[in-house]
Amino acid sequence: MDIGNGRGIPAEQRRKWRKVAYGGMQPGYDDNYTDDSFLEDMVMNANVVKRDMVKVMLDSVIISQYLSIVALVGFVWTYSLQSRLDQKTILLIDAGLLMSGFLILLLTEGMISVSFLIHYLLNLSFSASGLYLLAPVYKTLTRSIRSDSIWAVAGGLLIVHLILHDYSQCFGRAPGMWICISLNSSIMASIFVASRLPSQGDVFAMMLFSLVFLFAPLVAFCIKKYSFRLHIIFSVLLMCYSLALVYRLHTVLFVVLLGLMVFIMVVCPYWLIRIQEYKLEINGPWDEAKRCFDITD
Amino acid sequence: MAERHRVLMVSDFFYPNFGGVENHIYYLSQCLLELGHKVVVMTHAYGNRSGVRYMTRGLKVYYIPWRPFFLQNTFPTIYGTLPIIRTILIREGISIVHGHQAFSTLCHEALMHARTMGYRVVFTDHSLYGFADVGSIHMNKVLQFTLADVSQAICVSHTSKENTVLRSGLPPEKVFVIPNAVDTAMFTPAPKRSRTDEIIIVVISRLVYRKGADLLVEVIPEVCRLYPHVRFIIGGDGPKRVRLEEMREKHFLQDRVEMLGAVPHARVRSVLISGHIFLNSSLTEAFCIAILEAASCGLLTVSTRVGGVPEVLPDDMIVLAKPDPLDMVHAIKKAISILPMIDPQEMHNRMKQLYDWHDVARRTESVYDRAMNCPDQTLLERLPRYLSCGSWAGKLFCLVMIIDFLLWCLLKVVQPAADIEAVPDSATTHHQSGLDFTDTILFPLDPIGSFLFWVYRKDQKLARRKPCRMTNNMSDTA
Repeated sequence: MDIGNGRGIPAEQRRKWRKVAYGGMQPGYDDNYTDDSFLEDMVMNANVVKRDMVKVMLDSVIISQYLSIVALVGFVWTYSLQSRLDQKTILLIDAGLLMSGFLILLLTEGMISVSFLIHYLLNLSFSASGLYLLAPVYKTLTRSIRSDSIWAVAGGLLIVHLILHDYSQCFGRAPGMWICISLNSSIMASIFVASRLPSQGDVFAMMLFSLVFLFAPLVAFCIKKYSFRLHIIFSVLLMCYSLALVYRLHTVLFVVLLGLMVFIMVVCPYWLIRIQEYKLEINGPWDEAKRCFDITD
Repeated sequence: MAERHRVLMVSDFFYPNFGGVENHIYYLSQCLLELGHKVVVMTHAYGNRSGVRYMTRGLKVYYIPWRPFFLQNTFPTIYGTLPIIRTILIREGISIVHGHQAFSTLCHEALMHARTMGYRVVFTDHSLYGFADVGSIHMNKVLQFTLADVSQAICVSHTSKENTVLRSGLPPEKVFVIPNAVDTAMFTPAPKRSRTDEIIIVVISRLVYRKGADLLVEVIPEVCRLYPHVRFIIGGDGPKRVRLEEMREKHFLQDRVEMLGAVPHARVRSVLISGHIFLNSSLTEAFCIAILEAASCGLLTVSTRVGGVPEVLPDDMIVLAKPDPLDMVHAIKKAISILPMIDPQEMHNRMKQLYDWHDVARRTESVYDRAMNCPDQTLLERLPRYLSCGSWAGKLFCLVMIIDFLLWCLLKVVQPAADIEAVPDSATTHHQSGLDFTDTILFPLDPIGSFLFWVYRKDQKLARRKPCRMTNNMSDTA
């Protein structure tokens, strides 16, 4: 039997095949007839964005930037635990970071209004006084645990924080579960580290520092929104600075950090471009219709 | 007459559950029986409906004692069903196994075992799948496994064929398009319509996201605003019912939108004939039997242009729209304007010409003929097909098939085919309803068979007291 080629009726007598299901078997065509129009409504890779290497590399800078911010925080933690930074210095750093952060926000966003400033200062003073009151509790929190365990847990929590951090930086959207976990793990890590410090003042200064560090992504986002070039310059400076500081701390850590940055900014973009070739997205009339109406439950 | 086939229909979905697949299996089986073939249905147990049952024209149904665990699907055990499927296949002297619906785990398992035992296998796909989400990717892999070695496949619409070919990698000439049909004798128009100015739009569907309940929420208030003489009747239940009720309250449409809740299939016609326009708002649909039922009752259909819906009816019997509230409202406007030209009786007569289950059965029969002509193959000849399913999946599929083959060999030793008693054929032809006494010497050595027998005896006692409702309710196509 000649599969799919009708049943021996001369071509000119055959009616044109139609893509319909009604009316029984179409005369001259078998049920397994495959017309030339077969799969003509299929669309392949309709939504795929072609990426180029440079753009992906520049986009990946934001991840390295955040990595270097976390490295800097880790550096401050180690130094204060080794008592190389006293509480006055840390408080000064806090104040300096807070001021510069505000300045950047004000300059890039242009939101210079008194009420905005007062609102933020009020919030900050509330949290700062809260921290000050809780400092004695934090100080004795992990007294019965050895320092090694605390370091291991803090390191692990920081890694979790880095992995789950929201690098896409969509502020204003309700945060998802993973972002909340990321935030909480960073706060827990800072509480653990702060609890190893000798005096209440140290604990307070360190907790305040961690609070300030939570605002870093917002500042980085504002810079990026203001000017992409500034963002790149800022990031590169930050990376160099953190690399230099980590080098002073430990050579192996320096190598690890450098390796990670190279991996993130060079290897991963190359990898993404390579596997992009294998992308195969198929759309067609069988797809569920998109939500062209809004659902407000 | 051509060769007489002995078919086992397998699906998780069969009566007393209700839907497109169940309908399809029932009507197809009935018409095949009429054509002189032997048809047996196998499904899983529904509640205490377990064992063997008979339906109209002696259609024998095995409700195997396997419990559904999710959406009427049996738990996938891969090999668990091998003994009972083998027993049924040998007892009934089956030559072709016909599985229905890609969701059905029982269908996949039965087809796999049947191929292992060297039976010819036909598969009907009743639904459409995308390629994007994790669920579809998994389903598509399972489908690829089942279809890798299927003799012939059937789809219910051309769009569904394109979809199945893409998902399974089957050559297109192996896939047949045989649509569903409608029992036009059951869905007749209202004898005389009351002449009022009111226009009633009927919606009968499960109220879920995929059926476009959210679309209804936006379309109904707009249509009610534009046409003060339009009323809606909504039959069906589901998670989106609350949204529809909210919409009704928000726009003060309580007296113009009637919500009936779930409508049993026997009452669908009476709901349909109270209306003038049938509205289908599905977001995805392989075929949509509901449209056929509505058209057979003489209703003009307004539907979203999705999946296989544009193939279902001629253009003058249906108004299609994009799945977008604005376009839907336009389509309803158009439908209302052409409504005076529609004669329900004429539409019903046309439907009689367009769709017939007997035609479906004859076309399916020729697919069976082709399946029987497929060459017999040994396991070693079949394995390369599985291997080509993917670098990892291919090897996994091969392993699954080899283990299945070994289990089958073991089973042949433990329970030789000669020990399994065959059912005399005459039983299915002259026998109308009630009990098949040839079955009282069921499965003497087979533990699962004995269980079936036990349940069957229990069912018999019940059946004597209260005749099977299903058999009485189902009307014949003849």
